[in-house]
Amino acid sequence: MLWYWKHVGRRRIIEFALLTVFAIFFAGPLVNLLVLAFSEKWNYPNVLPQQWGFKWWTFVLAKDDIVSSISLSFLIATLVTVLSIVVCIPAAYAFARLQFPLKRMFLFSFLLTNAFPKMGLYVSIAVLFYKIGLMNTLLGVVLIHMINVLMFMTWIPTAAFRNVHRAQEESARDVGASPFKVFRSITLPMAMPGIVVASIFTFLNSLDEAQGTFLVGIPDYKTMPIVMYSIISDFPSSAGAVFSIILTLPTIILLVAAQRLVSADVLASGFQMK
Amino acid sequence: MNAVSTRKAAGKTWSKETRQSMLGLAMVLPSFAILLLTVIIPIFQSFIMSLTNDSGGYDLSRYAYLFTDKGMRGNILFTLRVTAITCMLVLLVSYSLAIYMRFNQGPVVDLIRRTYMIPLFIPGVIATYGLINLLGNHGWLSRMLEVIGVELPRIIFDEKGIIIANLWFNIPFTTMLLSSALSAIPSSVIESAKDVGVGRLTLFTKFIFPLSYKTFLVAVTFVFMGVIGSFTAPFLIGANSPQMLGVSMQQVFSVFQEREQAAAIAFFSFLLCSVLGAFYIRSMAVEEKDKI
Repeated sequence: MLWYWKHVGRRRIIEFALLTVFAIFFAGPLVNLLVLAFSEKWNYPNVLPQQWGFKWWTFVLAKDDIVSSISLSFLIATLVTVLSIVVCIPAAYAFARLQFPLKRMFLFSFLLTNAFPKMGLYVSIAVLFYKIGLMNTLLGVVLIHMINVLMFMTWIPTAAFRNVHRAQEESARDVGASPFKVFRSITLPMAMPGIVVASIFTFLNSLDEAQGTFLVGIPDYKTMPIVMYSIISDFPSSAGAVFSIILTLPTIILLVAAQRLVSADVLASGFQMK
Repeated sequence: MNAVSTRKAAGKTWSKETRQSMLGLAMVLPSFAILLLTVIIPIFQSFIMSLTNDSGGYDLSRYAYLFTDKGMRGNILFTLRVTAITCMLVLLVSYSLAIYMRFNQGPVVDLIRRTYMIPLFIPGVIATYGLINLLGNHGWLSRMLEVIGVELPRIIFDEKGIIIANLWFNIPFTTMLLSSALSAIPSSVIESAKDVGVGRLTLFTKFIFPLSYKTFLVAVTFVFMGVIGSFTAPFLIGANSPQMLGVSMQQVFSVFQEREQAAAIAFFSFLLCSVLGAFYIRSMAVEEKDKI
């Protein structure tokens, strides 16, 4: 054994040790929840559950408020995604292709969503919503979800539209295609990967948003993360673990589906100029 | 005849430009309206509100409270401490990881490249809950360590827990920003520097860092603001006192219903981040100008 390590070399050993720490640090909490969700009996100090099973799944899925929070979350996430596509994609196209006054000012104004600490911003919004009667309304919750996505929903598609070569659009125009036809059959398909990534990111972001909803949506708009807050304090940890998996499932499914489109470069373009 | 047609053409292009301007503004204004309603107006409003005092006049009493109240002062110092420690650790780890991924090949590196972004997509509540179960009193880690006779110190409901949760959230994001910046550095630059015998440290200080420091500063901004404005992790993991500012302002707003005081704490958190926030917008604006 010792001979083997000497053969591998010190550099490799350090690399291996660091990577193990990394894997445990990042995967540990998630693996722990996975084990908890399928354990029926797991007393201290046993390292693994004494009894495995699905008891807590039936327990969680039988609770009405939990099930209704799932549909509410998906409703809100869908609304936020559709609304931000309708609002942001035209803006992104304008930023990439049209000339209009104060263009730079408008483009950079989206940076404001990242230039303030989130909870401070949410409290300020809650103060305003309280005055204009948007507390505890669907519109209020949807608006607070949109803050986080406004910037990358505009910037990622802007970068995508900019990357479409004008020459291709122009040659289509030359053979007699109308501007709308050019947009539909050349520009939009080529910018689609960026738009899809931004939309998926928006959907997941809304599904996971907890802090803002906690501030303006209570008591009527209990989305999944908000229910999770109370599950953590009120239920045994196995029930919480089951619900965690239900809450994380859409994320995993969407990510696997869009795996090829999501890259560090695309995501980074949603937070900074490149 | 000629003059007329040029005038006509000029008139036509002018009107086309106007049309484009109107179209562009019409396409941008809806999203700007949302920005106005959810960012710009709330910030002005909370600033004005934070200046009102109990008797209806205007003064700085809400801000004075932040420094005279012992609990509040403790919260502010605690928040700054946690933020500073997190920033340093995150940047150290993320920079190392990004550089490691940029300049190494092999199956291990590929594996990291494919997986390091996963935590970005895990809901904050879930990750926090997982950390509570893993690191808590009688948690999984303490059970495992018990086998070899090691006792885990108190992590959850303590400063350490908040810092660990913040590391969990911020390292993947920062690594993503930094590795996207590092991938923009041409390999030829690094190769030729190596050819002339430049050492590793010089390579970093003279080439890699200068070529990526802008993204580095953007990363600092995001981590700093992310920690000061965090709520979920400190709310679930933190002790009752001292609190992080995010938790404290939520309590003042929702539990004590003192909206003016909550507005003052929120605006104070903006002030803490104002330098970095201004830098972020400015550096992005300069970058854009260079491109045009």
